[in-house]
Amino acid sequence: MSLNSFKRALWLYLINTGSCNGCDIEIVAALTPRYDVERFGIVLVGSPRHADVLLVTGPVSQQMAPRLKRVYEQIPDPKVVLQVGSCGMEGGVFYESYNLVGPVDQIIPVDVYVPGCPPRPEAVIEGVVKAWVKLEKAAEQRIT
Amino acid sequence: MAASKGIERYTIPVGPIHPALKEPIRLDLGVDGEEIVDVDVIVGQVHRGIEWLGMNRNNAIQNIYIAERVCGICNISHPFAYIMAVEQAAGITPPERAEYIRVIVAEMERIHSHLLWAGIAAHEIGFDTVFYLVWRIREEIMDLMEYVTGNRVTKAMFQIGGVRRDITEEQFPRIRKSLEYYKSIFNQLKTTFLEDRTIKMRTRNVGILKTEDALKFLAVGPTGRASGVPKDVRQDQAYSAYADLDIKAITPDVLTGTVVGDVYDRIIVRLLEVKQSVEIIEKCLSEMPPGDILTEPKIAKLLNALKKAEGEGVGRHEAPRGECIHYVRLEPGRETLATWKIRAPIYTNLLPIPTFLKGGRIADVPLAFPSFDPCIS
Amino acid sequence: MEILSPEKIVDSFKSALGDDFIDSKIYQKEMAVKKNIFTSIWIHVKREAFRKAVEHICELQKYPHLAIISSSDRGNDVELIYHFTIYYGQHLAELSLGLRIDVPKNDLKIPTITNIIPGALFTERETQEMMGVEVVDIPDNRRLFLPDDFPEGVYPWRKDETGPEDMLKVLPGRQQKWQQVKE
Repeated sequence: MSLNSFKRALWLYLINTGSCNGCDIEIVAALTPRYDVERFGIVLVGSPRHADVLLVTGPVSQQMAPRLKRVYEQIPDPKVVLQVGSCGMEGGVFYESYNLVGPVDQIIPVDVYVPGCPPRPEAVIEGVVKAWVKLEKAAEQRIT
Repeated sequence: MAASKGIERYTIPVGPIHPALKEPIRLDLGVDGEEIVDVDVIVGQVHRGIEWLGMNRNNAIQNIYIAERVCGICNISHPFAYIMAVEQAAGITPPERAEYIRVIVAEMERIHSHLLWAGIAAHEIGFDTVFYLVWRIREEIMDLMEYVTGNRVTKAMFQIGGVRRDITEEQFPRIRKSLEYYKSIFNQLKTTFLEDRTIKMRTRNVGILKTEDALKFLAVGPTGRASGVPKDVRQDQAYSAYADLDIKAITPDVLTGTVVGDVYDRIIVRLLEVKQSVEIIEKCLSEMPPGDILTEPKIAKLLNALKKAEGEGVGRHEAPRGECIHYVRLEPGRETLATWKIRAPIYTNLLPIPTFLKGGRIADVPLAFPSFDPCIS
Repeated sequence: MEILSPEKIVDSFKSALGDDFIDSKIYQKEMAVKKNIFTSIWIHVKREAFRKAVEHICELQKYPHLAIISSSDRGNDVELIYHFTIYYGQHLAELSLGLRIDVPKNDLKIPTITNIIPGALFTERETQEMMGVEVVDIPDNRRLFLPDDFPEGVYPWRKDETGPEDMLKVLPGRQQKWQQVKE
């Protein structure tokens, strides 16, 4: 599969909706010199307006649910949502707590799921590669 | 305090989603020009109801795995304190070899957490080269943790009454090789952080917390020690194998001779603690007593013993960020706990924030705020 | 400031509080290979003498360390334990002191100690919202961890009818709501 639109750069934005930070440190560890995805142009940015991919970690707590929706709407099209960790899928170990508002895909549409508690950096990289392929297909369809 | 004529006071909300930190917390800064006048801290975005889950849905052994996920960076500290509280309440004594293994794993976690913080602090200054250098050095300890316990994060090494895996004699040479690597690289870390002109300029006299305020507002951990308060649970109270080792709380006058209480002092304390942890692991390896590692290997019997037990217990442990305390009460006839109270070390350190951010500038907030190492959970 | 032995500390409380002192317990245990001793003291006082007891602790140590306030629901009353530690900073000399107070459920009030120990603000706010105990004269009355639109009168740590069981959300894919673990 040849990359045309996103050949040299894919920018990620990370949002933490109440997680224990385990998944976040494995995502940041994927950028460091051991796994080194920065050589492909993958960078963490500080604003949702610059991003192509949204990474969501954590079970969605009640205070963070409206903010998650607002950030999703601010990311320009075409975009892909990656959900990392088993907390956002069905609650992980925290299922049926009184402060959680359901899995992430009840609030925003999700494209790729990366299960694990926390997933290893290799699993996160594979998820990002799958998201990249999906994004290319979405970009092609818009151009043609 | 009245604002000067013609200039209004603004409130700048920072967070809960902001590029400085990966955790959600909200700070409302009241500013007058560039100077910070008032700070309000709003937390609670990460509240998952863990204590309710522990008291009503899980039995006492399943709570170990929930306690692990309170914080992913200090994920050995919470099970350690919880298990000490349960053992005190139920009257179980773990064997001595298990105590030494617990201390070795806890010190490995301290090295990884302090190096993680050092990288993030360099990133906040804008010094990305050091960020990547330090996280590459950190990978060595993550490999070692995987070799000993089986996983990089959330290791699940502890059990009520001992530990689940043994550190055998064949594993010692591999552990010693990693410790030699850290001893050889420590001087490079020290030169990079403590003698660099950029870092000194950005961190000296920024975010000062005076000794009086640190005592009044109950600051714990490296934040308190950098302000001159020698509080360290490993030195003060006899628990687990720390009672055998002579540990001294590190304050910045060991290196520089004076205590200022700013961000530079906190860097000194954390770097010296990495060296201290390497020495503690070496000492434990050479003094490890023989014996078995679990008082009760069968889980059904352990659950039965906990169901009949009655009592209360307090477990305190020195996590990389400060003092972590768990309180447990057991009642006979109940599989779940009667009471469970957790206090992560960060919540005591949130109260001194207004004191050390006031009077500073807005541009210093991204450095002063992570300098006490928030791990909001 | 001299370091007293646990028995002398208990005696000093008895003489300072008189009738309001109910009970005490000293727990000691030997640790690890060298058999150093871990000590903790539990003291039970009446609610009226609570502030006097805290001031007495401040006399034993200039800035005592308050770790946390824990609360248990015991049916008719709520038991609060204030976990202090004194004599920190010296090698193997620290003692844990637990101050126990019973508050009846028809009169859930306790005075604040933020004018003696300013660092107690967050933990008092947490007790107020999670257990429903009203802290009299607290300087900041807002909620700490729970969201602002959490219903009034629902207290997560209680075991009676004001618990949050109605607020549990059943996730899709699970058939039944949570059931109490069989006793």
